[in-house]
Amino acid sequence: MTGRNGWARFVGFKMLRLLSLLVGVSVLSFILMQFSPVDPIEAYIGGDMIRVSAEQRSLIEERWGLNESSTERLLTWGQALIQGDLGTSMIYRQPVADIIQERFMNSVALMAVAWILSGIIGFTLGVVAAMRRNSKLDRLICWYCYTLASTPVFWIALLLLMVFGVWLGWLPVGLGVPAGMSADQVTWGDRVIHMILPALTLSLTGVASIALHTRQKLMDVLESDYILFARARGERGFQLFRRHGFRHVVLPAITLQFASFSELFGGAVLAEQVFSYPGLGQATVQAGLRGDVPLLLGLVMCSAIFVFTGNMVADILYRLIDPRMKEELMS
Amino acid sequence: MGRFSWRWGKRKVRTGLGILLVCSIGLSGCAQGTAPTASSVEDGRSGIALTKDELVLAVGTEPEGGFDPTTGWGQYGSPLFQSTLLKRNAKLQLVNDLATAYSVSEDGLTWTVTLREDVKFSDGEPLTAEDVKFTFDTAAQSGSVIDLTNMADVQAPDDSTVIFTLKSPQSTFISLLTTLGIVPEHAYGADYAEHPVGSGPYKLVQWDKGQQAIVEANEEYYGNKSAFHKLTFLYLDEDAAYAAAQAGTVDIAAIPAAFSKQEVNGMTLEAVKTVDNRGIMFPMQPAGAKSGDGLPAGNDVTSDLAIRQAVNVVIDRKTLVEGVLEGYGRPAYSVSDDLPWSNEEAVFTDANLEEAKRILTSGGWVDTDGDGIVEKNGVKAEFNLLYFAGDLTRQSLALAAADMVAQAGIKINVEGKSREETKKMAYSNAVLFGWGSHDPLETYNLYSSTHKGEGYYNVGLYSNPVVDSWMEKALKATSEEEALPFWQKAEWDGTTGFSYQGDAPWAWLVNIDHLYLVTNGLNIGEQQIHPHGHGWPVTSNLEEWSWDNSTNKK
Repeated sequence: MTGRNGWARFVGFKMLRLLSLLVGVSVLSFILMQFSPVDPIEAYIGGDMIRVSAEQRSLIEERWGLNESSTERLLTWGQALIQGDLGTSMIYRQPVADIIQERFMNSVALMAVAWILSGIIGFTLGVVAAMRRNSKLDRLICWYCYTLASTPVFWIALLLLMVFGVWLGWLPVGLGVPAGMSADQVTWGDRVIHMILPALTLSLTGVASIALHTRQKLMDVLESDYILFARARGERGFQLFRRHGFRHVVLPAITLQFASFSELFGGAVLAEQVFSYPGLGQATVQAGLRGDVPLLLGLVMCSAIFVFTGNMVADILYRLIDPRMKEELMS
Repeated sequence: MGRFSWRWGKRKVRTGLGILLVCSIGLSGCAQGTAPTASSVEDGRSGIALTKDELVLAVGTEPEGGFDPTTGWGQYGSPLFQSTLLKRNAKLQLVNDLATAYSVSEDGLTWTVTLREDVKFSDGEPLTAEDVKFTFDTAAQSGSVIDLTNMADVQAPDDSTVIFTLKSPQSTFISLLTTLGIVPEHAYGADYAEHPVGSGPYKLVQWDKGQQAIVEANEEYYGNKSAFHKLTFLYLDEDAAYAAAQAGTVDIAAIPAAFSKQEVNGMTLEAVKTVDNRGIMFPMQPAGAKSGDGLPAGNDVTSDLAIRQAVNVVIDRKTLVEGVLEGYGRPAYSVSDDLPWSNEEAVFTDANLEEAKRILTSGGWVDTDGDGIVEKNGVKAEFNLLYFAGDLTRQSLALAAADMVAQAGIKINVEGKSREETKKMAYSNAVLFGWGSHDPLETYNLYSSTHKGEGYYNVGLYSNPVVDSWMEKALKATSEEEALPFWQKAEWDGTTGFSYQGDAPWAWLVNIDHLYLVTNGLNIGEQQIHPHGHGWPVTSNLEEWSWDNSTNKK
């Protein structure tokens, strides 16, 4: 009974925090956009600046409510939001909710694949490095992780694009579906092929932290007394790891992976730009550069919820795994 | 104890299952991944080889707002899905499209357009004058880049006649007739931008947002049929488009000049002439003036005619084209070089240091203190030249031009500024701007004193009553032919004008060629002189595109 109460309190508290986070983040983003030097009308008109008269400019202002004061605009937006309306994007001339829904599906699939791949590869690398501590392989893995951790995502993306897309010609250079193919002919295989390069980019750079953490954790475990005892009994190599190491390192790794949602999201924005992949990244860049406030706020909230969810899952996992934290929660 | 072990056991199974699942997904992903890669590439190549009437193009960015002409689609190049009342041919002369004739009343306020009667939309419904009226009414209310603020009214007295009434005479209203695609009243709804229906040469089959648009020939199209049944437009940025060209996925790609040096197998580089110009705008008033928004304006050095003319005449434009643009461009002498409304007499001999020195001396600018910079009344011939930071071409042009001008004893300090900073400083500093449009209204807005200092209109606060009156005459003309000589006279009428020989409010430098990588054998016809935007304008003559001969097809 106390357990259920504890969980209810925990979840309620989390929801409250999410709500305050969303309010804070959207108000802050809005204020930042007000200070941004981008003139939304000019950004909207673009190259036709010299042909659009002052009269037409004020028509555009009026049409998008840009002539009202910023407080008024924020309040109008907030009111509409409470009724479930995220507003209309100025550059796409479409409801923000539709844009996010459409693009989020693409991004989520990409991020999920990258997330799982980086988790598995990173974990394996970390384990191998720790089990072969100070070997050449260990040093290679560490070198790789340090290098990757300091490499910009878009650079890796361009490199992969050049090698696999242009030189070898194995994989398509961009987009999420084959060029010129009608939607009903696109197979899952096509989608997978088009996802490989962006997903690979994200997972290549994502493995560093999980591999290094796992390596360190497993090395600590391997120095413990019970491992010494197990070794004394003659257990070696993979058997030793499976019986005495695995469960100690896999759970921290999983929680770490959940906590890395924010880097994942940031990386996806960059990788999508390079590969012309139709996810949230493109929309975010456009919204920022062209001062599309409703779209940007929608995207900011969406990413806040996404990252918050990741962190919350990590929190919950901790509590499920570590009895000490559960005690803390219950009391 | 029992409970504890049970929990562990369950968790172990769960984790094991999870990992197994993840591994199998990963593996099957790989297994699926490798096999279709090879076959899909083959499919792509053989598909093109077999049919030959399909093209894949990467020529510009996606119109985020969709394919609705009433909110700005099709302003440059072909609206593709819709057709316009008039259009411009390769020589930029006006020709009929939906219209069979048009006339303008003596006072320039009433425009009557007669429509052809055999036109059907791609859904089979006929196109009538009501649709034209509907299009212009909708566009006027859309709050978009389509500026119809000068249109008082549009009427459709019968099925094939449209009458526009203007608030003030405006011969450049013709540009709207050549760019605004007509939408069907019966098929226009909230989702029109995603599902356009029109009377243009193509119809939209599929739009994968953020990726591509697939179009097919419109069977109902009344004009010349294109040689290509299906077109796929990929929305890639310039780097990705170039990569796609190297990978052989596209038949034509718009690329920046930086990529022009490297050869791409199976493709030819085509440079298209443009009025995508870059030039130096000079503040024309002495310091102390004010812009329309009350910002400080004017500059004591650039407001002197001798300085502006010397800068103009000393700059070696051919060298700029060779050095900065890798040869892909041509010297610019006006905002509208080689367009019908530009004046050929305004072209002059540049790279002339002697002439620059003569102009400066007779203007009273002499180097008295021997520092290599000329002075007049204690004012040094020194001013700032701003460019948009991050734009490498503009930076190089500004630096190279400053070097050339230094020989004549004028010191230019080149500074990169953000667009927003530039906007505030533009009224009191020289700025490297770029324009270029198929609409003479641009010329009017750059040089007319009516709107001087409003945003980007006439930033230099140039004012010449004679030029103003020529341009007013041009606007009041009842046809473009009638307007052309007035536009030309505004530039240079023998005694004054906005050209170098006259007031020289600008020093135009270069027109930048637009580069396209085109698959060998694909003939993209005679291209118009392209406007400022790179990419989409190449589609304006799609119906003339063809394969040159059978040997070169992929």
